[in-house]
Amino acid sequence: MKKNAQTADMTAYVPTAADFCLKNNAGEIAIDNNFAAQSFWKEVFIRYFRKVSAVFGLVMIILISVMAVTGPGMNKYSYSEQNLLQKNLAPRVHALEKLGIFDGSENMHTTTGTKKINYYTENKLDNVYYWFGSDNFGRDIWTRTWSGARVSLIIAVAAAVIDMIIGMSYGLISGYFGGRVDMVMQRILEIVNGIPRLVIVTLLLLILKPGMVTIIIALMLTEWVGMSRIARAEMLKLKEQEFVLASRTLGAGSFFIIFREVLPNIIGPIITQVMFSIPTAIFTEAFLSFVGLGIPVPQCSLGSLISEGFNSFTTHPYQIVPPIIVMALLMLSFNLAADGLREALDPKLKEV
Amino acid sequence: MKKYILKRIVTSVFTLLAILLILFILMQLMPGSPFNDEKLNNDQRAALYAKYGLNQPVIIQFFKYVFNMLRGDFGVSYNISKNTPIAQLIQSRLPISIAIGGAAVALGAFVGLILGVTAALWHDTVWDTVATIISVIGVSVPSYVFALALSYQFGFQWRLFPMLFSPQQMVASSVLPSISLSMFTMASIARFTRSEMLEVLGSDYMLLAESKGISGPALIFRHALRNALIPIITVLAPLIVDLMTGSLVVEKIFAIPGVGSLLVNAIQSNDYNVVIALSFIYSAMYIIIMLAVDILYGVIDPRIRLSKSEA
Repeated sequence: MKKNAQTADMTAYVPTAADFCLKNNAGEIAIDNNFAAQSFWKEVFIRYFRKVSAVFGLVMIILISVMAVTGPGMNKYSYSEQNLLQKNLAPRVHALEKLGIFDGSENMHTTTGTKKINYYTENKLDNVYYWFGSDNFGRDIWTRTWSGARVSLIIAVAAAVIDMIIGMSYGLISGYFGGRVDMVMQRILEIVNGIPRLVIVTLLLLILKPGMVTIIIALMLTEWVGMSRIARAEMLKLKEQEFVLASRTLGAGSFFIIFREVLPNIIGPIITQVMFSIPTAIFTEAFLSFVGLGIPVPQCSLGSLISEGFNSFTTHPYQIVPPIIVMALLMLSFNLAADGLREALDPKLKEV
Repeated sequence: MKKYILKRIVTSVFTLLAILLILFILMQLMPGSPFNDEKLNNDQRAALYAKYGLNQPVIIQFFKYVFNMLRGDFGVSYNISKNTPIAQLIQSRLPISIAIGGAAVALGAFVGLILGVTAALWHDTVWDTVATIISVIGVSVPSYVFALALSYQFGFQWRLFPMLFSPQQMVASSVLPSISLSMFTMASIARFTRSEMLEVLGSDYMLLAESKGISGPALIFRHALRNALIPIITVLAPLIVDLMTGSLVVEKIFAIPGVGSLLVNAIQSNDYNVVIALSFIYSAMYIIIMLAVDILYGVIDPRIRLSKSEA
């Protein structure tokens, strides 16, 4: 109103040359991004990195993976090298030993009380450093922990990816065709699911040779059920939608619709499920090793390290601590990252 | 409703039979034989096979087995303790596994519900954060890590509870294994309860109930929690079976004479009958609990009962 009053007061405005120049104020212009179309994955990316716990999970996964690759090569020991003269040594690290921690001493519990002893000084091992200590055969726990993490990660990721392929295909096919095909496929699923996991896994490990590949197959055989359920549910949701009908009208075959039309639309929940199945696989592998059906010696995985450490965990607790911490962190990080990813992919989803 | 239950029972029975057949075939594929004593010559081995009926075709063995099983006879153990009826072998171990597993489920479900409800009622406060942290840790850390930590701290350092299971101190020595087994159940129940309760608490019927003057425990337990229970039961059901049949590793850590260790021994010594019997019991429990859950849905939520009886 005020402005109108002003212009009414003023005489006719004569435009100058300055009115027809660009203002060069690109820095001041604010573009409203709220309603602008953004790529789906870019939004997912932004939402994911907004969440602290998800970022923490991702960083930890990367950190542990890097350590699993480089860790075993960081000192002079190998994962299978035994030195019986230097067995059961407590952790000792170069700089930290001056601070009174990680100086190679440990408490020994006897009936008369506890006593602090240092095997390094007792045995005159002045220039020997085991960062995480050494085990019952004089093997370096640092090297073994990281090579164990490497084995566990390889097994878990391989199993999760193969699971995804099998479970996804099974669920998609079952959901898409429906009717009698679905009925038969779901009954088979129920039967497979009804057999104890442990029975399938143990039988398989007895029939095949124990080793990494066998464990991957065993994990694959037991874990695909959950994946197929998710894929089937998603398929049931999507298959009545117009874009599927459109594709069919254009003459697309069933398999084209399943894998080229529907699959890209449900890739989010599937990736999330893969992320969730990795910690499960790590856990199952650790569990198998603990029962004695895991990786054959002298190779090691996190589970077999925990199992070895368990035998002396009251006398030398430091032997079991590193693999347990690495495994717990790994499982925690994968769970946090998967949680974050699920929320980032579907912000409407209720929080779990 | 009756028709639905009947239909479910019939399919369950057929599923169980199919599982039995598959187990039977898997057993035939296993390497080695139950009689791998080197002192036996071929004739003796053949005699043993004939004695236990192992020389007959698989399909006849299968029908014989099913027939005997219906009369409560699971056959005898070949190896672990020779000629002991399996029913007897399992009888002494199953109650221990069920007792510890049951305690773990009860504890986990109870604490989980409390944690979840607390987190939902005091949403976005310190309590919520604490409950969330506890549940994330509970889901991520394997039960045997808890078992080791507890047995080190409470069993070894403070000597409050026995480190190993002993039948004389049944209650005291079940405490640590039950707690370590319950962690995962507790954490998952807490997570689900929280999210379900948040959804229910924000719903219109809760507003209605509140405006009618209902408050306090009646509001939370009768109106909110009951509606949140369905998804929680779905999550709980498979966990119950897993815990009831014993977690092998926790059984190993605390030296509990449960079914889990029996199963591993049986598989390693080719004791076919024991493996089949235990796997079958596990499968039967799984299917029965699933069936029970399906029927329970109807009891908790009348809407489901209605829609299923129509179908």
